[in-house]
Amino acid sequence: MALAPFANEPTLELRRAAVREELLDSLRKLDRRLPLRAPTLLGGESRGGEELLSTDPGEPERIVALAPRSGAEEARAAVDVASASASGWAHEPVERRAEALLGAARWMRERRGELAALCVRECGKPWLEADADVAEAIDFLEYYARRALALQGKDDGSAPLLLQAPGERNTISYRPRGVCAVIAPWNFPLAIPTGMSAAALVSGNSVVLKPAEQAPGCGAKVAEALRAGGVPADVLCLLQGEAEAGAALVADERVQTIAFTGSARVGVEIMRAAAEVRTGQRDIKRVIAEMGGKNCVLIDSDADLDEAVPAIVTSAFAYAGQKCSAASRLLVHESIASLLGERLAGAVQRLRVGQAEEFGVDLGPLIERQAAERLDRYREVAEAQGAEVVSGAEGADFDGAGWFRRPLLVSGLPSDSEILREEIFAPLLAFEAVKDLDAALERVDELPFALTGGLFCRDPHTVERVAARMPVGNLYVNRHITGAMVARHPFGGNRLSGSGFKAGGPDYLLQFMQASVLSENVMRHGLVVS
Amino acid sequence: MAEREQIFEVGRELLQGLDAARSGPLKALDRRGMDLATEDAELRAALLRFVDVAPACRSVDDLASHLLSYLDELHQRPVSLDVAIRMGSSRAGRAALGSAALAGVRHVAHRFIVGETAHDAAKVLRGLWGEGAASSVDLLGEATVTAAEADRYAARCAETLGTLAQLYGALPAQPTLERDGAGPIPRANLSVKVSALTPLLRAEAPELGERDAAPRLRELLRLARRLDAHLHVDMESYDSREAVADLVLSLLSEPEFADGPSVGLVVQAYLRDSPELCERVIAWAQSSGRVPPLVVRLVKGAYWDHEVVDARQHGWQPPVFEHKRESDRNFELLTRRLLQARPHVRPAIASHNLRSVAYAIVANRELGGAERDVEFQVLRGLGDELGQALAAAGLRVRVYCPVGDLVAGMAYLVRRLLENTANESFLAEQARGLPLEQLLAAP
Repeated sequence: MALAPFANEPTLELRRAAVREELLDSLRKLDRRLPLRAPTLLGGESRGGEELLSTDPGEPERIVALAPRSGAEEARAAVDVASASASGWAHEPVERRAEALLGAARWMRERRGELAALCVRECGKPWLEADADVAEAIDFLEYYARRALALQGKDDGSAPLLLQAPGERNTISYRPRGVCAVIAPWNFPLAIPTGMSAAALVSGNSVVLKPAEQAPGCGAKVAEALRAGGVPADVLCLLQGEAEAGAALVADERVQTIAFTGSARVGVEIMRAAAEVRTGQRDIKRVIAEMGGKNCVLIDSDADLDEAVPAIVTSAFAYAGQKCSAASRLLVHESIASLLGERLAGAVQRLRVGQAEEFGVDLGPLIERQAAERLDRYREVAEAQGAEVVSGAEGADFDGAGWFRRPLLVSGLPSDSEILREEIFAPLLAFEAVKDLDAALERVDELPFALTGGLFCRDPHTVERVAARMPVGNLYVNRHITGAMVARHPFGGNRLSGSGFKAGGPDYLLQFMQASVLSENVMRHGLVVS
Repeated sequence: MAEREQIFEVGRELLQGLDAARSGPLKALDRRGMDLATEDAELRAALLRFVDVAPACRSVDDLASHLLSYLDELHQRPVSLDVAIRMGSSRAGRAALGSAALAGVRHVAHRFIVGETAHDAAKVLRGLWGEGAASSVDLLGEATVTAAEADRYAARCAETLGTLAQLYGALPAQPTLERDGAGPIPRANLSVKVSALTPLLRAEAPELGERDAAPRLRELLRLARRLDAHLHVDMESYDSREAVADLVLSLLSEPEFADGPSVGLVVQAYLRDSPELCERVIAWAQSSGRVPPLVVRLVKGAYWDHEVVDARQHGWQPPVFEHKRESDRNFELLTRRLLQARPHVRPAIASHNLRSVAYAIVANRELGGAERDVEFQVLRGLGDELGQALAAAGLRVRVYCPVGDLVAGMAYLVRRLLENTANESFLAEQARGLPLEQLLAAP
């Protein structure tokens, strides 16, 4: 199966008016169809419901999707279906599985506008981000299809990976693990569930996908795409539900792999639950967890502030800071701290908060009431701790309906403030002046998280030195620290930020497989038969 | 005589004028400095990175350590730089190296930047006027990321307009520079950047930046009209083009600006869709009936690398022609189109390419235009000699003059240096001694 080399799916060229108009048209069409039905899918069976509903975070009166609140019983039923189909799917040739991913990519490509519009509505993602989400979903499908083919052809004997002694033949092959539970977040409501599911499927596992309860509509689209591409119905189940459904999947003795992206608290809980071996269980569950961050951007004295300011603002506040890669701490060389502080405050003031569907809006709403209230509490903490809080988006006038909040720039926090430690997942950036980069590196090193990091500096020697000492999984130099691209910036954290190999990277699929080695004696009575 | 021969004849004359203009020994020295940077791409990049970071360095020691870091990355270092590396090993050596490097930046900056303020630039601007060249002043400065910065830039523009009006008001008459077939041409001329007039330029929401920049630009237009000065709105990257074009045309459509001031726009010939913008501007100029006529500066475009890299990173087709030849060809088509669109527009041909300039001169003659009905623009520091040659030939010349802090300003000019030292540029070709036939060949 010969495929063109992987290339990232181009994002839409939103600087062209006609492209923008097409997206708005897609949104109008989507609005006419709301609310969508997002049932739980158990093989050929579809169980609808209305207990779980997603609403537009910018206008909570608007219902986007209606789903059932499936629980332990449906989780059990889903694993029944997936474990029954696992062996058959595992024995399909990898080409067929890869073909299903490519088919799903085509299906999504034909619905770019519709899918982006759904992201806008269900998760409050501004267009730029919503479109990037769709493009990334397509990237995962295209990339993992190619990686699976590459891995399969890896040890075909022509260039063996294993050492071969005379008289023996050694080969290694990668096989599926079985049933994979995919537990996905709402913040990349298409890309992340697509990526995790596609990786598991193309590696030969059957999948039970549980989308975030905030994004059942997007989750349903992911399942629809994969099935339309050629993944059999019984190989991919869709479980719409909340924590109960997720916990039941994790505990099920027939689930071998759990792919999770979300908070560190839940991730660690999953690992704890997965460590318990239950009656009838035959595998050590493997947990692939991508978790939170407390991402720091370091600014050296020689930074180009003209470039740093917009990049910091994007890193901290795009999608209202609701990305695990978003910047939440800024550590600034003291010689430029006041200048940068002033420019940054001015830049934060001119940010725009508004409905995600309006082009040019920087911060849409937060995902839900609790998220907005959590930010309010952190703000109160900052003020109680005597910090200076710059409240951005001057002149923004948003009515009370959606979960809108102003971006916050906080400085002067005590060094032991929880705001400097905890993942807030909202538009709050803490600003700290430091004596030099070494002091900044010490502060970074104190953190248990190590997902992304940034550095603005124009001395190549310093860049090298900082890169060697930053513990993070992804370090970005002289650019924004979000927006990792498949195959270009394989993504994933170190320390408490994650347990997995990098998503969108060359090794990611290996986690969904197990290796088997075959060593054959090829000597018969002194004769080597090969 | 066929067009080809005419272009050769005009080109040959201009080249003679160029040679005469560069006979001074000091100029030869300056050119060698640039040549050094042109020959070795890695070294050139290292030096440009140094120029770029210089304003952010805290001390001479810091300057030296940055310079050494860049030189350290070179795979092949010219022997002449070994001295610099040795100096870097001691504190005193670094101080000397840092100071020398800073002096170097200032020296080069003097060639491109006419003064820290318009007031400081008075001597240079008067000198140019005396030699038969008008100017357009461009204020260098940091990027605008806040409303306060946009206000500060607008205030600098206003102040500069006043200074220029006063300065040029006191100069003797230069008939070639002050009038064409369409009427009087203002002496004072300021180029402004919309990206500096608002922090809200967004590619996906052009109306945001337009709305935010409009009040500041409107004030400048009013002031320019009061002072009888020309305001030229520069074009920048493709991301902001829609906003800039819409902003200028919509402001000029407001009744209060029906009779002035003189205003200009830019068409970038390296853009594939530049003919559409050119037609739109011409159609607008024809239907608006506004006087004085809109000046249209035709350039190749200074953001080529940015546009190509940005488009490739996104998987888009670059909005620019990818071969210089295509841009050159389009430049000639648009030159002719603009010349034909007179008197509704005033074309200003801004190029250092001998062929492009010669083509414009010949096309103008072919169309029966008077010499004074087309303007030629060059960049200070890069096109000085071409400007002198054109002025000596009796043509109307305007020099685009950056004004600003020498060291910081130089960093903002790095982009233009990059363009100048790119392999395909005319100046580089000329420096390599390509024969006239090749320099003047049709693109």
